[in-house]
Formats: sequence, C-alpha cells, structure tokens
Amino acid sequence: MSSPFSINGGAAVAMVGKDCVAIACDLRLGLQSLTVSNNFPKIFQYGDVFLGLTGLATDVSTVSDLFRYKVNMYRLREERDIAPSTFAHLVSSSLYEKRFGPYFVSPVVAGLDAKTGKPFICGFDSIGCIDFAKDFIVSGTATEQLFGMCESLWEPDMTPDQLFETISQALLNAVDRDALSGWGAHVYIIEKDKVTKRLLKGRQD
Amino acid sequence: MAMFSQNPIMNGPNYSFSDTPKVNAPEGARQHRFDPYTDNGGSTLAIAGKDFTIMAGDTRLTSGYSINSRYHPKVFKIGGTTADQKDASIVLSVVGFAADGEALKERLDAICKMYRYRHGKAMSVKACAQRLSTILYQKRFFPYYTYAILGGLDEEGNGAVYSYDPVGSYEREQCRAGGAAASLIMPFLDNQVNFKNQYVPGSGEGHALQERPRNPLSRTEVEILVKDAFDGAVERHIEVGDGLQMMVITKDGIEEILLPLKRD
Amino acid sequence: MDHRPQAWGRPRDDIYGAYDGSYLQTTGPKQNTQAPVVTGTSVVALKFKDGVVIAADNLASYGSLARFTDVKRLRVFLDTSVVGFGGDVSDMQYLDRHLNELAIDESYETDPSAPDAGALNAANLHKYLQKLMYKRRNDFDPLWNQILVAGLDSGSKPFLASVDLRGTAFSSPSLASGFGAALAQPIMRKYAATEEDAAKLSREDAVKVVQECMKVLYYRDARSMDKYSIAVVTKEGVELKEDEQLEKQSWAFAERIRGYGTQTV
Repeated sequence: MSSPFSINGGAAVAMVGKDCVAIACDLRLGLQSLTVSNNFPKIFQYGDVFLGLTGLATDVSTVSDLFRYKVNMYRLREERDIAPSTFAHLVSSSLYEKRFGPYFVSPVVAGLDAKTGKPFICGFDSIGCIDFAKDFIVSGTATEQLFGMCESLWEPDMTPDQLFETISQALLNAVDRDALSGWGAHVYIIEKDKVTKRLLKGRQD
Repeated sequence: MAMFSQNPIMNGPNYSFSDTPKVNAPEGARQHRFDPYTDNGGSTLAIAGKDFTIMAGDTRLTSGYSINSRYHPKVFKIGGTTADQKDASIVLSVVGFAADGEALKERLDAICKMYRYRHGKAMSVKACAQRLSTILYQKRFFPYYTYAILGGLDEEGNGAVYSYDPVGSYEREQCRAGGAAASLIMPFLDNQVNFKNQYVPGSGEGHALQERPRNPLSRTEVEILVKDAFDGAVERHIEVGDGLQMMVITKDGIEEILLPLKRD
Repeated sequence: MDHRPQAWGRPRDDIYGAYDGSYLQTTGPKQNTQAPVVTGTSVVALKFKDGVVIAADNLASYGSLARFTDVKRLRVFLDTSVVGFGGDVSDMQYLDRHLNELAIDESYETDPSAPDAGALNAANLHKYLQKLMYKRRNDFDPLWNQILVAGLDSGSKPFLASVDLRGTAFSSPSLASGFGAALAQPIMRKYAATEEDAAKLSREDAVKVVQECMKVLYYRDARSMDKYSIAVVTKEGVELKEDEQLEKQSWAFAERIRGYGTQTV
C-alpha cells in the first residue's frame, strides 16, 4: 500500500473498435483509504491524441503538463498535429529519460491516425516500455479487474455505440471491485471526425 | 564457606548437562525457518441458479513458475455414503495451499459421513456450511491456507453457495470467484449474474433509472458464463489453465463436466 | 578438587569459564530439521503403456561438495513399487528404515501367494507417505524430501505421483523433482503430454527418454553425477539397476558456450 502507484488510486482503459477507439478513466482521488476528490479526471487531450495517466497524482499532473508543453512545441516547430504513434514514442523516450528516478505513472495512449484513420492504442510502464496492443490496454489500481472484464467483454470490430457500452461496463464493474477507484467516470469515443465525451455517474461509495 | 569445601559452589554454575549455560547464537545468524505454506495457484468459481448450483475450478497445480500437474481437481463431492461419492449432494471447492485443501476436504467428508451414520440422513448444506466454518476456525492460529466454497441445494431446492475465508468467516451468496484469478472473474460475475451497472434503457435519469430486473439464469447460460470467465482468466493469469472441471448439482444428483482450457 | 564424574577431565570453570553445552541441551525448545544438509538432486519418472520408468543419480552432495558417490536413492517397496527420493539424505534413510518396517509388517499381515490379497500398492503407499509428510509439516518437523512413487494402482494401471516436505501431493504422466522440473519435464512432456500419450508409449521408448533426461541433467545440473539408478515397474515386478553409467555423452556444445551477457571472448 505504500507503493507510489497505489497511494492515490485510479483506473484507466483504452479499447479498439471498427474505425474508432475509446479511452476511459475513473474520477477518484484519494489518500490511501480516504477519498479527497471525486472529480480528478485522468485523461488528457492533446489535439487528436488522448493520454490516460494513472499512478501518483502529483506525477499525473506533472506529466500531463509536461506533455502539453512538448506537444505544443512539436506543433509550433512542425506546423502540424502530432500523430498518435509519434506521441507514443515521445512518451516512451520522455519516461526513459528519468530511468533511475521515474515518474510513478502508467500511461495509456489512444487515437486515430490522421492520415490512414487506423485506430491506435498503446500502454507503457513507468520507465517507457511500450505495449502495443491490438485490442485493449488497462492501467491503474484496478488492472486485474479490468483485465478480467475486458478479456470477457471485448470483441473485434465493434461500432462506436457498441464500443461505448463495452468500455463503460468494463470500467464501471472493474472499479466497483476496487476500493481505490471509482466515483464516476469519463469516457471518450473517438471517431474519424467526431469525439464524444460522456460523463458516467457510477456508484458513489 | 564454599571456598574451603572440596565441592564446587552449589549455587553457582553446575557440571550437569542441563545446568550448562547456553551461548546465544548471534542474532539472525543461520536462522533458516521452515515455511509450512506455499501457494499452488488455480482459481475456482461457483454460481447458484434457481434449482441448481454450478461449482467450477481449473485443474492446474503450480508452484512458482512450474506446472506440477495439469490434472489436479479442486472441486470435490462431499458426504456420500461411499468412497466414490455416488450419492453425494454437496460439493466443496478449495484453492490456495493444495495440501491444506486436501486435508480440509477429507476432514469435512469424514464429518459428513459420521453425521449420516449417526442421524441416518444426509447433512443439509446449511448445516454443512456452519460445520465447515467451525473446522476452519478451530485452526485459527495455524490456519488451513485455503479459500473454500461450498455448494448445493437448500431445503427449498434452490441453489446455494457459501464462501469462506481461510479462518472461517462465511456468507451465503449468489455467486463467488476464489483463488488466483478471483479479482479478474468477480467483477464479470457482478455484471453478468447480478446485472450490476445495467439499467433499463430509457427508464429515466439519475435516481429515476431502473435497474435491469434480475431474472434467474438458465443452466446453459450459466455454463457458458463459467466457460467465458475461465477463458478470460486463462489468457491473463499464468497460474490458471489446462482443464476446467465443472460440477452441476441438481435434485437428480451431481453431473461432472470436464472441458479443455489452454495449456500454455 | 571436584571428584564428581561429570567434572572428570574438564577444564576448570574458574579458569576457562563454564563449558558451553548448548548443543546437548535436553530441556528447552525442541530442535527440528530447519534445513537439509546432505542432499540428493533430481528424480525423474515417466509412465508408459504398462508401467513406469524412474531414475535418480547416485550422488549425495554436502553443499557443493560431491560427498558420497554411491548412494542409492531409488528404493523398492514390497517388490511392487519404487520410491525415489530427492532432498535430505538422512531423512531419506529414516524413511527407508520406516518403509522397511512397514513392508515387513505388511508381509506378515498378507498372504503373498494369494494374488492381489490386499498388499499395499503404489497408490496406497503414496497416500501413506502423503499423510506422513503432512503430519510432520503440521508438527513443524518436516522430512526435507521430495518423493516420487512409481508402481501400479488398485486397477493395475500405471501409477506415478509425488509428495513433498509440506505434504503437497500430485500426479502426472511424467514427474521430475528439483532441477528436473525445469530441465527434464519439457523433454518428457514432448513424448507424454497426456495420459493417453503415455498409454501409447512403449517401454523401450520410455527408458530411452528417461536416459536422455538424466544426460541433460548431468550436463546442466552442477549437483548431479553420471552414475545413476534406473527402475522399471510393471505388472511383472520391479527391475532395478543401481550402477548405470551415462552413455553417449557429447560435450561438444560446451565449447560453444561463451558466457552469458557480458563475456564475449
């Protein structure tokens, strides 16, 4: 329990559908068993790319701000938006820079490739090892529960509506079995020219 | 006085073996303690239906990264008249430390058989469940390192599942997952058996939302759920796999089903 | 002068200090085996069509020292079963004496001329050893062994099972203790992944596979030896050879090993 990864609690998940991706997170912020906020989103949008960050809350804020800065600098220098796979490698190298004093975060990246429209998701450990997945990525204190849910609910080529239902049920039921996550959720469904953000109430205990 | 005596001082250290002083070994030096427990992995699952109960478990036995056996049952019939348990009506599943699990199974089975001999009838699940709690608590300070689940049919013929912690706390439930992959399977069961987080479409907003009514699941539906739950667990947990053993308890007896799981 | 016999030949306490007799203390907490001392390494065994092959090398090590090179770690029980021991050798010898006693008692009880007169088979013996080992772990006085029991069950089918120092018992078409679990099991499982595969395996093939396993173990297990015992248990009885030599060794692979990771020359 004294692991920096499980002091504040939280969960995030990303999923691939047919020509769409989804990313979702819970809203809890706690200090061990004490909940201090029920409005601490863990997903951050940088242009068309989405980043989910779980782990130590102070590092979640620091790292999310760091990548906002880095993505803005990229856009000014390159005069174009960053692609999801490029962003993934930026996350990886930035985390590895701190190899021997890492940020205590487990990032998740989701987005659609602007040129090809191909869904892209990936996850990382805290020192930048990339996990390219074709189906789903989970992170946070409810990883085991999320793995169980995703492994049984996910199927290939889901429509945006099906994907929304699947990722929402996966997250909601997973965080209900984790004492350190929950208190509502944010869900993003990302399509070619539309992003839908939904707020889920969930259990408030 | 003693200094003039030919004998040594009698209140001082003596020469008898038991009187020789013990030299304390340096703190922490060569102190290898025997650990009586290991975790043999595996996972179990039980779901109570309207007029049946399904108990399931994988058949892999591990220690560390080694697979010791690909067929080591965790689900047992309890309290039949004979050793083959042909007329048993109660099923016990145990997961955790395999040696304790087997000892616990044999204790409970012997007790159920004694009950049958003394009372001339089989033990009810309710009584058996209470007795199992007592057995576990009797070893409160050297516990059976097992997560037990007991399944059967209650007096009304409804499916009954009782789940335990290693020292005997127990509760009757609709469904329960135990063991290594319990945290993967349990939220799936909440969602698919008790319909948690499912609402009637268009029934309102906020508190007006209507929960999806919990109609009892059929036997085939439950069998599919069990298989799906384990297929998910096998994919993401290294200690789960090889075979899936299912016991279906109905008023007509206990049917045993063995299905293959991935062996990697 | 102290004339009591306990003091004879002892350095005087007032000059040399009291004698430290802690090691022969008869009171105080009872001392149990806390760690193995002289040890045997892997035991490997494989089921086949009409029996079981089991093998173990003849070495008893004292730490990294190859201390005793003629120790027989396979033991025949009642001419029907073979027990293979890994782990502490003194505990093995205790169990050996104990099983001898049991076998003699058993021979008095049962009539050997009557076929299947209820003599203990391998399955019975395994259950007995499991209860014994589990009892000793409950008393915090474990017998520091992993044991393989090979023979036939009550239905005269091949039987192979294991029990360890905690009383954990399990069975499988092939079994290996210690290093063998990592090195020999993958080889044996190639030939007998399931009970059905094992039931098709011939005696000659099974012996060959087990011999191959012993060779691989000798190549890579530093606590092993090239002299070994091998036994075949069938309905006809036990054929035990205790002075086998590993044949057709090829150490050609050794010169291609160039260390692990950093060593490049």
